[in-house]
Amino acid sequence: MSTDTVERALSTRDSSTGPVGRTPAAVVAALTTARAARSGALWGLVFGLYVTASSLGYATTYKTAQAREQLAAAFGSNFGINALIGPARHIDTVAGFTAWRSLGVLSIVGAVWGLLLATKLLRGEEDAGRWEVLLVGHTTRRRAAAQAVGGLMSGALALWAVTAVIAVAAGQPSSVSLSPGSMMFLAVALVCSAAMFVAVGAFTSQLAATRRQAAAYAGAALGVSYALRMMADSGTGLDWLRWATPLGWVEELRPLSQTRPLALLPIVALILALTGAAVHLAGTRDLGASTIPDRDTAVPRTRLLGGPVGLSVRLARPVLIGWGIGIAGLAMMMGVIAKSVGDALAENPAFHKALAQLGGKGAGATAYLAVTFLVVALLVALVAAGQIAAARAEEAEGRLDNLLVRPLWRASWLVGRLVVILGALILAGLVAGTATWLGAASQNAGIDLTTLLQAGLNLVPPAVFVLGVGVLTFGLWPRGVSMVTYGLLAWSFLVEIIGGIVNASHWVLDTSVLHHMAAAPAVDPNWASGAVLIGLGLVGVTVGTAAFSRRDLVGE
Amino acid sequence: MATFAIRTEGLSKRYGSMDALAGLDLEVQPGEVVGYLGPNGAGKTTTIRLLLGLIRPSAGRGEIFGLDCQHQAVQAHRRLSYVAGEANLWPSLTGAETLHLLGRIQGRVDEAYRDELTERFDLDAAKKVRAYSKGNRQKLILIGALMCRPDLLMLDEPTSGLDPLMEQAFRHSVQEAKDRGQTVFLSSHILSEVEALCDRVGILRSGRLVEMGTMAQLRHLSALTVEATFETTVPDLSKVEGVTAVQVDGRVVRCQVHGTVEPLLKVLAGSGVQGLLSREPSLEELFLAHYGSSTDGVLTDVH
Repeated sequence: MSTDTVERALSTRDSSTGPVGRTPAAVVAALTTARAARSGALWGLVFGLYVTASSLGYATTYKTAQAREQLAAAFGSNFGINALIGPARHIDTVAGFTAWRSLGVLSIVGAVWGLLLATKLLRGEEDAGRWEVLLVGHTTRRRAAAQAVGGLMSGALALWAVTAVIAVAAGQPSSVSLSPGSMMFLAVALVCSAAMFVAVGAFTSQLAATRRQAAAYAGAALGVSYALRMMADSGTGLDWLRWATPLGWVEELRPLSQTRPLALLPIVALILALTGAAVHLAGTRDLGASTIPDRDTAVPRTRLLGGPVGLSVRLARPVLIGWGIGIAGLAMMMGVIAKSVGDALAENPAFHKALAQLGGKGAGATAYLAVTFLVVALLVALVAAGQIAAARAEEAEGRLDNLLVRPLWRASWLVGRLVVILGALILAGLVAGTATWLGAASQNAGIDLTTLLQAGLNLVPPAVFVLGVGVLTFGLWPRGVSMVTYGLLAWSFLVEIIGGIVNASHWVLDTSVLHHMAAAPAVDPNWASGAVLIGLGLVGVTVGTAAFSRRDLVGE
Repeated sequence: MATFAIRTEGLSKRYGSMDALAGLDLEVQPGEVVGYLGPNGAGKTTTIRLLLGLIRPSAGRGEIFGLDCQHQAVQAHRRLSYVAGEANLWPSLTGAETLHLLGRIQGRVDEAYRDELTERFDLDAAKKVRAYSKGNRQKLILIGALMCRPDLLMLDEPTSGLDPLMEQAFRHSVQEAKDRGQTVFLSSHILSEVEALCDRVGILRSGRLVEMGTMAQLRHLSALTVEATFETTVPDLSKVEGVTAVQVDGRVVRCQVHGTVEPLLKVLAGSGVQGLLSREPSLEELFLAHYGSSTDGVLTDVH
């Protein structure tokens, strides 16, 4: 797509008068392309710089073969990192290290980018009523959806192009010396999960009735893919599972070394199938409606509708049940494989040394669970972030006005809501612990319920801290709630993953919320640091609530 | 001292360098029905949101039944109900569930009246909000406000999206509230609605209250339209004191008269007048006189 078309598309959008004076057929394509390509190019810059930092960083830090072997020995046995971002292969070479480190992290970043972009530009635009303007008499819904999907894919193309250009340049220095061809293939591998989750997002945008719901469905798909990939990479003979998950196919591409372009087949097939289904479904439903049937009438259920707290429970319940099922499912799977991973690890002396350094106890199984609980901790904290963002949405979309023009203090509305969220977080921790125990007990892993319940509760303090940050932002800078809370979590998770690889300074590690959580169940939960996190969270809640009581209500 | 239903003193709201509302002084007696007019962006909604305590004033203060809008908001809210121009409700709740919730939070509901209103507005309360049209959502928040029989009804363009039949039902309901001695503060674009219902009218412009009075007082401030038909020749009326906008159409002359009509009558008396029509200005003419004849927001000052 030429820049000229993009310019024209932008000018059409800005006039907000619809497709005047140009072929209406291409408007949707041009609009979506302009926005997707801009976002793709921007993230391509991030991807490219990340690849450059990985390859050049490795080449300059680990100069000798000996240093590289040491690194490989350390990470070859680091099951935790393997589980989080995939197995480290050939990391005694620049190629192997670069591929491992960039693929593991950027696949997830790309997937989140893809699903958010697709649901925003498809369902979000439709929700906002902008499609109505475009569709009046000019083009069919199916054709418009096809154009939008095409536009989204050109976003993925822009992501690839920018990533590839920077990666090829990064391969040039003699210390790195990776051929342009192999770097271009690396860029393909890096963009694959983004493209697949663009397709997933396009598909769920047809299923759900709102953007939030569409993103939640797509997020659930990503969660399942990630969990399956984690199990496949656990080293317990479940390697075949890698072929059951899109993130596993990306891993099987093995860029830069042992390249397997054949793994592109299922990737391309999935993209074609999902985008084809999305375009088909777009034509079979009404504009603004969802494919999954939704009853329009219901017998009134007023049990919870006696006040603001009950309303919060009623509104949050479907989302919280979804999260609960996701967390329980992941925790149970991890519990099931914990024993076999632990047994494999028990034979590795390097592992015992590492575990002792952590102050760990028990079998390898608990150590494995400690690492996987980092992911569960992220999910529990995401519940907190999502719920405070939902509270903000009540205000931004004007629904809160209905309550606050009645005899209800602002603080009691907010505190009531926070009590519900807090209850949900504690419940999530207990569900995680119980589900892990159920999974582990099924394999006679010999970890008792109390230990795992404690490990589950250990996940709650970071989430409470995130909630505190969220409420503080809600009080002082309401429009920034989502950015700050999700940003904090994304940063924390990246620090945990990358920090473990590059031996980052403790100043950097300390900025991660998740870093202040003890590695339970491998070690006992540190209730003192948990109390500090909760205390800081409560300070945020108090200051944020006071600020909210004094400020103007603000819309979007 | 009698307590006003609404009283503001220098109530102001600034956004950056823009005055959304500048020094509003307003007094509304209990039992009064007051219309609040102004073009988009004049500050009508800002006034109402300030009175509801949803936003904070930059200066000045407001009271509802003697209760401070900011610091005693909850006590004030026990005595009022509010209808917004845009009904933002929870899509997953049904109409009946929404009414139940709003009634429980308000703390008082006349259930028989609620059912009567539901029938009057022809609302299917078993439907979910997401399945309602814009008009039906508007009916829902109207019923939610009226069913509480509050001492004060604050209505911000409450009839947007209603069809003429429902508009009629709305007027009937406001008349009922008025008859029961409830106070009504009605911000509206529909001038016939304001003219039919309101005892007093305030006109707002660029954040300032430019006119406030009964319909009769407002009319007095404005011009009288006079149309005279002459037997033979048409005299020159443009020099007569108080007469403007003279239009001659054959033997018919149309003009506007400001102030007393005596000078014009003196001239007409000796000029062979065949017919004489005079008409008071409608609220629409008053409104347009304040804002110029343009409806797209370009204002021309006629003062």
